[in-house]
Amino acid sequence: MKYWLAFTSIATAALIASAQTADAHIVASRLGDFYTGALHPLTDLQDLILWAAMGVLAGSLGASKGRWLVLAFPLGLLAGLGLGRATGFVSAGPAADAGMILVLGLLLAAAVRMPMALLCAIAFGLAVMRGAANAGDLGPETNRLLFAAGLACAGYAAITLTMAVTLAFRRPEAGASMAWRGIAIRAFGGWIAAIGLMMVGFAYAS
Amino acid sequence: MSSRIFPRLAVALAILALAQPVFAHEQVGVAGGLASGLLHPLTGMDHLIAMVAVGIWGAQLGAPAIWVLPITFPLVMALGGVLGVLRIPLPMPEVVIALSALVLGAAVALRLRLPFAAAAIVVAVFAVFHGHTHGAELPGSANPLAYGVGFVVATGLLHLCGITIGTLTRWPAGGRLIQGLGVVIAALGCYFLAQSLGAVA
Repeated sequence: MKYWLAFTSIATAALIASAQTADAHIVASRLGDFYTGALHPLTDLQDLILWAAMGVLAGSLGASKGRWLVLAFPLGLLAGLGLGRATGFVSAGPAADAGMILVLGLLLAAAVRMPMALLCAIAFGLAVMRGAANAGDLGPETNRLLFAAGLACAGYAAITLTMAVTLAFRRPEAGASMAWRGIAIRAFGGWIAAIGLMMVGFAYAS
Repeated sequence: MSSRIFPRLAVALAILALAQPVFAHEQVGVAGGLASGLLHPLTGMDHLIAMVAVGIWGAQLGAPAIWVLPITFPLVMALGGVLGVLRIPLPMPEVVIALSALVLGAAVALRLRLPFAAAAIVVAVFAVFHGHTHGAELPGSANPLAYGVGFVVATGLLHLCGITIGTLTRWPAGGRLIQGLGVVIAALGCYFLAQSLGAVA
């Protein structure tokens, strides 16, 4: 019993003596710029609305059409980030962003059935716009590769999750009893379009 | 005893003299814009009752009004919002907003069954005026985009509230209850109309 107690005490003392500070948030390590890239768009309401609208639109058109956005959207963000760094083009202006919100909202509200290629082109164009806008806040000391990886991962996760949630919500196979879900998605589109329309007006007023 | 009271009184007076106002919720940034946008339709009683009445009337009219309404109303209201943002004046906005509560309340109370196109035109005209009032506040808000999100969401939720109340029409007693609610809305509309015309203070 005594030996066991002594052994436990020594082991405990050794553990305490070897304690080190723990870095729960590895933002402080070299990976910090990855998190900066991933979180940067998620702290901007413009990005949140546009990404959500794009994801819902893709999800409302079905998995077969939307699945290509899983690739096209993050690639577009990377292309926009590269374009922003290379040419200094940061933003097409508030009217263009507001116009994009309006267009996505109208497409959702009208439940337009569009071909997959057009959907991918819209998603890629939107991603290029927003990727370039995010490039505007890249500092000189920021690790661009890590920032780009973070941005692309955030885009991938956001668009995939939004599409998946929309598909699960809509459940077109459930028939007429679930028709209200399609109307709810279209109403969401009406809200998005209304926000976009007012922001277009605001962009021209200011 | 009195020697202990005086120092305490002096400390209490000093604390009171040093008091400053506390801002628990600063109306700045995205949160400020969102809060003011969400609260704008909810804190104006004339807006609130009119939006709920639109939802109830839509539910009374049934398809297609019940589903066209939540999709198109925010858009038409946003048109009015743009006019407000651009500072394009509308004639007698306060009177028309009060009139909207009166007319929509009366439509609910009387179970008025207009053709869909006529009902849509009535609601659209009122929507433009309501949107104009909200839109006029947008440029001065803490965050215009967040304000827009807040007021569109609040208006949409008020419609949803009205549509939910309107589902009571499935039961005879519920139908009568809703008609009573329409009378109350119309009476409040009368009051707001009299107020906007300067008949009451």
